[in-house]
Amino acid sequence: MQTDDRKDTGGAVISAVMIGIACLVIWDSMSYTDPDSAVFPRTFAGVLIAASLAYIGMWLFGRAKAGAAQEGGASVRRFLLVAVMLGGTMAMPVVGFIGAALPVFAALTLIAMYDPWTRFRVLVYPLIGTAIVLGFFYLFREVLLVPLPTGSLFEG
Amino acid sequence: MAGFEHLLTALTPLNLAFALFGVVAGTVIGAIPGLTATMSVAVLVPLTFAMPTSSALILMGAIYTGAIYGGAYSAILLNTPGTPSAIATTFDGYPLAKKGDGDYAITIACLASVIGGLVGAVALMTLAPPLSQVALAFGPVEYFWLAIFGLSLIAALSEGSLIKGVAGGALGLLLSCIGVAEVAGDVRMTFGSQTMLSGIQIVAALIGLFCIPVLIDLVAQPGHHLKVDSGSRGFRLGEAVRYLWGDKINAIRSAVIGTVVGILPGAGGSIASLVSYSEAQRTAKPGQTYGKGEPGGIIASESANNATVGGGFIPTLVLGIPGTPPDAVILGALLVQGVRTGPSLFANQGEIVYTFIWGLILATILMLPTGLLIGRYAYRTIITLPKALLVPAIAFMTIIGSYAIRNNISDVIIMIVLGAFGWIIGRFGFTASPIVLGLILGPIAESGFVQAWTIGRATENQMGMFFGRPISIAIIVFTLFTLLSPFVLARLKKIKDQAHAD
Repeated sequence: MQTDDRKDTGGAVISAVMIGIACLVIWDSMSYTDPDSAVFPRTFAGVLIAASLAYIGMWLFGRAKAGAAQEGGASVRRFLLVAVMLGGTMAMPVVGFIGAALPVFAALTLIAMYDPWTRFRVLVYPLIGTAIVLGFFYLFREVLLVPLPTGSLFEG
Repeated sequence: MAGFEHLLTALTPLNLAFALFGVVAGTVIGAIPGLTATMSVAVLVPLTFAMPTSSALILMGAIYTGAIYGGAYSAILLNTPGTPSAIATTFDGYPLAKKGDGDYAITIACLASVIGGLVGAVALMTLAPPLSQVALAFGPVEYFWLAIFGLSLIAALSEGSLIKGVAGGALGLLLSCIGVAEVAGDVRMTFGSQTMLSGIQIVAALIGLFCIPVLIDLVAQPGHHLKVDSGSRGFRLGEAVRYLWGDKINAIRSAVIGTVVGILPGAGGSIASLVSYSEAQRTAKPGQTYGKGEPGGIIASESANNATVGGGFIPTLVLGIPGTPPDAVILGALLVQGVRTGPSLFANQGEIVYTFIWGLILATILMLPTGLLIGRYAYRTIITLPKALLVPAIAFMTIIGSYAIRNNISDVIIMIVLGAFGWIIGRFGFTASPIVLGLILGPIAESGFVQAWTIGRATENQMGMFFGRPISIAIIVFTLFTLLSPFVLARLKKIKDQAHAD
């Protein structure tokens, strides 16, 4: 990654967040009944704090340089991708594997679509999506014997 | 060569068919993020109970070796290691694929995997009893330092700041503590959440931290995922063989490192490939740019991780201590088949063991044509599939793959959240590799650390326990060398440049 002369303020902010996480770990370790459970997380929370403080120190003295600027792009699509994946996963225990997977696949196809919708694409893409979902459903459920969620809605 | 007479037993049409099927199945399964070598071997174990012992072992060995190689496909084409041992393959594999050389990268990976697999299998055949003693020389504190050494390597190898790499490694170690503590049973860092109670599953975290950021960036931009060159360029086998011949020392050295690290139970392919990658980078020739699409990086990683297959079988067969999780599954199948592992195994049940090792060698050789063919198909699929189908297909595989590991929706949620977190911190130079390696090595490190801490406290010699044992001292020296050498070398270069300028 090439560096430029910009100060890495973002890196310093993430380092501060890391210190927060490490403090949370140390606070949580106060409640453990056995000291053997606490010694390892406390030690490495200390390492995380030391490394993060060192980076913030470098930033304060102007020695922490930002990496190359990241590519832009459509933030809404990024957010929607994560939201749809999370929503579909959370819906899986309720509507079942296929009930969640097919709408998720369709929604992600729409989110990732940059080309114009031709008649061919309108017909073929849903067919391919359905084939992928059903193919994996069969592979995991019947061949690998993975108990995929059936959905509480459909359980007697 | 020892046991040469058993080659003919391994060469029966049935065994060859099993080896071929195993390699193909293993390669395909290993290429799917979330489906690990352990899972593929475990699923097929019941099928082997009714088979002749040697055929059963050949099938399992072939699946295992194919799955380790298959992990390279998603590492190269999707920047997602199919198995943890392919983390270092992403460093140069994905940049090569981005430049339009994904086909070349896959061919290099296939050749290197075959070399590594052969070296590991030959070591298993010829040096198993003496090499197995290495595993016995390692105590808890040595495993702790070995894990820290692995983390220091990845911190130093990560692009960008070393301090960020160290912080990422420490964060990974802390994430590995979430859930019920193995040593004392305390519930740690769940903050009352049921989702967190079972901890962070390593493969789900691996998929999330590597694959979700790629998807997030993929969906934000129009255009192809990888650079597409017009026209067919074949396997590019000649080009790859020429490069490999020029870099043969790297391939052999990495295979030897992979074999030796594979002997250490629990260390596995991830440390082996990182140590080999680090060595390849350290001894790079002028003009080689590791981390930006250098084929030598793929050779180091893939040769080493496939060598751990043979290396891992050494303690499994000679000591009954499985080197890796798939070895543990195969050890169970061996016991069912009536094979008694131990130092006398090679003498008492040589026919079965040598037939198995020859089968492993045959499977490794079969990996060359099958790996090239499947790799070419995988590459063409990835570059020709429209983004509107590629993104949902990969996303769907990440969800089902993460779920299938423990049949747990929580793993999928953690995978997606970690992936989004990884994408955010990645924009500020905190890479995923140290966090994932911290997660992988966390249980080994904590177990070794707490055991050494307890023994040290009981003997009132904690400092001596951690810093006084010969192997520990050697690993600590390597760790310090890894962390400090970039600064020392940069300083020396600066002094030299100044002297030239004066």
